[in-house]
Amino acid sequence: MSLGAPIQGVTLYSFTRAFHGRQYDLEQLVRKVADDGYGPGLEIIGFSSFRGFPEIDDAFAGRFRDLVDEVGLVQTSLAINADIGIHRDRLLNQDELIEYMRRQIEAAAKLGFPIARVQISIEPDSMERLAPVAEKHGVTLALEVHADQYASHPRILALRDRYEKVGSPFLGFTADWGATTTGFAPSLIEAYRRRGASDELLAKVVALWDEFFQAGPPADQADHGQRFGRFIALGAENGRPDLGVDFGINGTGLFGPARVNDWLEIMPWIRHVHGKFFGIDDTGEEPSVPVRDLIRLLVENGYDGAISSEYEGWHWNHWQSPFEIVAGEQAVQRSAAHDAGSQMVTDAAAARVQLAEWLGERRGSTRPTTRGAHA
Amino acid sequence: MIPDRIIEQDTLTTDGVRSAVEVRIPWYRALPGSCISEVSFAVDGVQAPVESLRWTMNGRTFRLADLVDDTDQWWFPLDSAIVSGDIPLATGSDEHRVDVELKLYIPYIIIDGGQVLRIEEHDTKTMPATTKEVAA
Repeated sequence: MSLGAPIQGVTLYSFTRAFHGRQYDLEQLVRKVADDGYGPGLEIIGFSSFRGFPEIDDAFAGRFRDLVDEVGLVQTSLAINADIGIHRDRLLNQDELIEYMRRQIEAAAKLGFPIARVQISIEPDSMERLAPVAEKHGVTLALEVHADQYASHPRILALRDRYEKVGSPFLGFTADWGATTTGFAPSLIEAYRRRGASDELLAKVVALWDEFFQAGPPADQADHGQRFGRFIALGAENGRPDLGVDFGINGTGLFGPARVNDWLEIMPWIRHVHGKFFGIDDTGEEPSVPVRDLIRLLVENGYDGAISSEYEGWHWNHWQSPFEIVAGEQAVQRSAAHDAGSQMVTDAAAARVQLAEWLGERRGSTRPTTRGAHA
Repeated sequence: MIPDRIIEQDTLTTDGVRSAVEVRIPWYRALPGSCISEVSFAVDGVQAPVESLRWTMNGRTFRLADLVDDTDQWWFPLDSAIVSGDIPLATGSDEHRVDVELKLYIPYIIIDGGQVLRIEEHDTKTMPATTKEVAA
């Protein structure tokens, strides 16, 4: 297999505080992404950035696409949401969820995104039923594999097996690097310290996470729930019950403990990547996400799709600029791709052609048949 | 997620009987009315009675009970909503402590047992009150 050359890019989610804080509106943020060179790939969350989503009028869609063209970015993924819990008294049934997703897939097509990131609540039967909708609109559905799930999680393997059976080139995965981290983010530890947590308690939080890392990812939801409970207990037993749930949400939902090569289980179906990360340290490296190993894995497996740098440290890190941190992480990606014998694609024209080919090859002819070939 | 942004600085208003403050969503994406689970609003430690609370967004004013079934009205991340309730207050240059707590359902995150994740976020800010008609 020839080496991959992933397309560099970013999701505007990385800049949530700047957008939410009204420092940049959508147009200004898109222009900044282009001007500062965080692209060419551009990913956007529909319900974050587009007022009235998923209703998008034609005039707005036209202006948006013109803006992207003008600044020389390449639309990659529109992140859409499987809001199965939107009603207070019950979950949506799968028929309702399919209809809920259909409207958002149409919005992705109208806005010009070739990929829609979808989410775990969509069951294999429903992904199969959505395949013709995706095909009709020319939008690849890339279901996000996100902690506390991971590639070899039973729910993900069930989806993979269904993809293989269905054989639609419009079904795949978004790989979120948060599933395969190697540590509890130091910047979050620092944020807890600033909230008055003792060094002793924080050492215990890190040690508990390390224990789970050694054990590997949770076998099932029950195991996940038990781990969540142990983080809550840690807060309660150490005089900070107010932090326990936060430890649990982050310790299990942000910092997934699967190994990097776990992605091989679904590699032929990975269409898009969320380069999830939490910070850049004084040495210029990501201390808790193995960015270099992840880039090498993608390059060596011929991945030519886009990687959206997805900075999540903004939740707690109010003391550093998200723009500088994203720039730092993308420098690591480029260095890692070079070290792996390839490069990140940063030229917009090249990226546009490559992304169309990357998705088009799969849509046009052969279905993936290499299940297990790399595992 | 973004609790420090909930209360908009210097937006406390009162008509003497009812008071109001502008609030921002402490989350990165729009949520519909049905996901606004609980709201509390207090000034100088005086809590607005729950039945007196009103929620104004998208130019419309709702009782909290009216939001329960509403999946058409969305709270967009850039928009201020207005929380109002029965809190008697005098205007003037005095600084007042404002407390708002929001409990929001996150409709795509399902936790154990099929429950929808509910986040609880609280903010406190200090500001003077200005005179203005308040939604009832």
